[in-house]
Amino acid sequence: MHRLKTLLLLMLLLVGVPRLTLASDIAVVANADVPVNNLSLAELRKLVLGDRQFWRSDLRVSLLIRAPNARERNIVLNRICQMTEAQFRQYWIGKVFRAESPVGPKTVYSSDMAISMASTIPGSLTFVDAANVPKGLKVIRIEGFLPGERDYPLNKE
Amino acid sequence: MLRGGVTPMHGYPLDALTYMTLKPKKETPMRVRLGLACLLLAALPGTVGAQTSDAASQAELIKSLAARIEQLEKRIAELEAPGTLTRTSTNVTREVPAAAAAPLSPRAAIEAIHGEHGDPAGTDVQEYPSLKLAGFTDLNFSGTNQPGAKSGFTEGQFILHLNSALSRKVNFFGEMSFTARPDAGTGAPAVTGFNAEVERSIVRLDYNDYFKLSFGRYHTPINYWNTAYHHGQWLQTTVSRPEMIQFGGRLLPVHFVGALVEGAVPASGLNLHYNFGVGNGRGNVISRGGDAGDNNNNRAWLINTFVKPDALFGLQIGGSVYRDKVTPAAGLDFHEWITSAHVVWSKEDPEVIAEFANVRHTQFDRPSVVSNSQAWYTQVGYRLPLGPRLWKPYYRFEYIHIPRSDSVFRGIPTLAGSVVGLRYDLSTFTAIKFEYRSQRRAPGQPQINSGFVQTSFTF
Repeated sequence: MHRLKTLLLLMLLLVGVPRLTLASDIAVVANADVPVNNLSLAELRKLVLGDRQFWRSDLRVSLLIRAPNARERNIVLNRICQMTEAQFRQYWIGKVFRAESPVGPKTVYSSDMAISMASTIPGSLTFVDAANVPKGLKVIRIEGFLPGERDYPLNKE
Repeated sequence: MLRGGVTPMHGYPLDALTYMTLKPKKETPMRVRLGLACLLLAALPGTVGAQTSDAASQAELIKSLAARIEQLEKRIAELEAPGTLTRTSTNVTREVPAAAAAPLSPRAAIEAIHGEHGDPAGTDVQEYPSLKLAGFTDLNFSGTNQPGAKSGFTEGQFILHLNSALSRKVNFFGEMSFTARPDAGTGAPAVTGFNAEVERSIVRLDYNDYFKLSFGRYHTPINYWNTAYHHGQWLQTTVSRPEMIQFGGRLLPVHFVGALVEGAVPASGLNLHYNFGVGNGRGNVISRGGDAGDNNNNRAWLINTFVKPDALFGLQIGGSVYRDKVTPAAGLDFHEWITSAHVVWSKEDPEVIAEFANVRHTQFDRPSVVSNSQAWYTQVGYRLPLGPRLWKPYYRFEYIHIPRSDSVFRGIPTLAGSVVGLRYDLSTFTAIKFEYRSQRRAPGQPQINSGFVQTSFTF
């Protein structure tokens, strides 16, 4: 019985370990066809706020943002948009209502979903915990920096 | 995996097992795999007996098992279909397991988020047209000391906003309003309770960020408020619009019917936006656009530009010019020349909106008769940093001056007034506003004081 308990505890720990890993920087991940490798924070803001809607004439920006309360979304709203959740929502309702954009950002519900969709939807851009970014995916430099580098603007701090 | 664990000890030909275990190479949910294994085990006792029967019945059994496996594979495929994933992903906010979020086809990916009608974001897999509907409305209570006016509740405009992608680059935007009529039920036949109006109807080609071409009925883009909030009371901080751009007002043309070219260029971080429009201009009733056609052979045109500098995020500075020939009555023509400017700080701590407009009228056959009417307002709001930042006090001062020489605007009262209020966001999409107004229409006239409570929301 004691061995069973120990075994169960061990299993629980093993399952829990990935959840306990420390949060890392937020990577800006794009579909492979996005013709940009580096963005300034101001350019990134224009993309997130729908002020820039095209990468080029034949390629629309498709913005994928995590659902409310996700750490990635909070960092995007605080650092890039300088808005609260309510302000961000009102901003996008107004943007669509003003006919400035045909649609708001798409909501994704997990990092896996964000990665999966960013790798398949042309022109898509999303925000993912850098630790979850698989190899081979296009990560955009922000102000010349990649996640993990000093002075990266979307760092974990 | 199964192939290594299960040997052909029950007399199954290896081919049948190979077929069952190797054919579905893609990841299948554990539950389904367990079900398959259980089914196989349940079928085994029967097949032991079958070992003793003749080869023909064995072959038949294998055939039926293969058919069953095929059925189950179909079921797996159904379960893994995009529609199933849609329901899972949109209804559940917790993390989707990695297996469920395995690479999807572009179509499946779009449908995973937006359902089978896709999303008008411009991917080739989308279906057209894709109509989306949203709305705004408000309810008000007001009281005033104005002689003859009554206090009470009023329904605000019921607004429907339609938005439909017609192709990868062409979109339609529409706005309809339903306004309560004070004369509802009177006359023969009885007047309806609400006036329906197409406020905006725009079809637009988005070639890129620099160039967008559209046709339709717009809110004239020569005034910030007119194009920032439209009929969405919930979007604006205050209960009412500034009087210079009031719906049904005559000072500035609220609507514009025609064509518009617009876009934005980075301009070294200044982000220069532009609108250039040609349209019918004012109708015979000058508060209305020429919906059914122009009332003269001169088109109105407008240019509107503004900058939103990267270095000062939240700041917008712009100006417009508008030129038209106004014919308020047959044989009476005026040149109209409107110049306007605005400065906006759109962040809410503080929010500042200031606008100015000058309307110059020159009589066509008497060019020496010139009049200049002016209007301006300044509004300041501040979202208080208390808790979840739900309270926002605001103040606005507005001023309108109409000279006696302006015969086009005859009857429009001058105004000097203050508005002070408090907005409280009841929820993300609902606000309640308390407002006090003090206005004087002309020097020497009594001050009119009014109180308003409004709840406005989007749906």
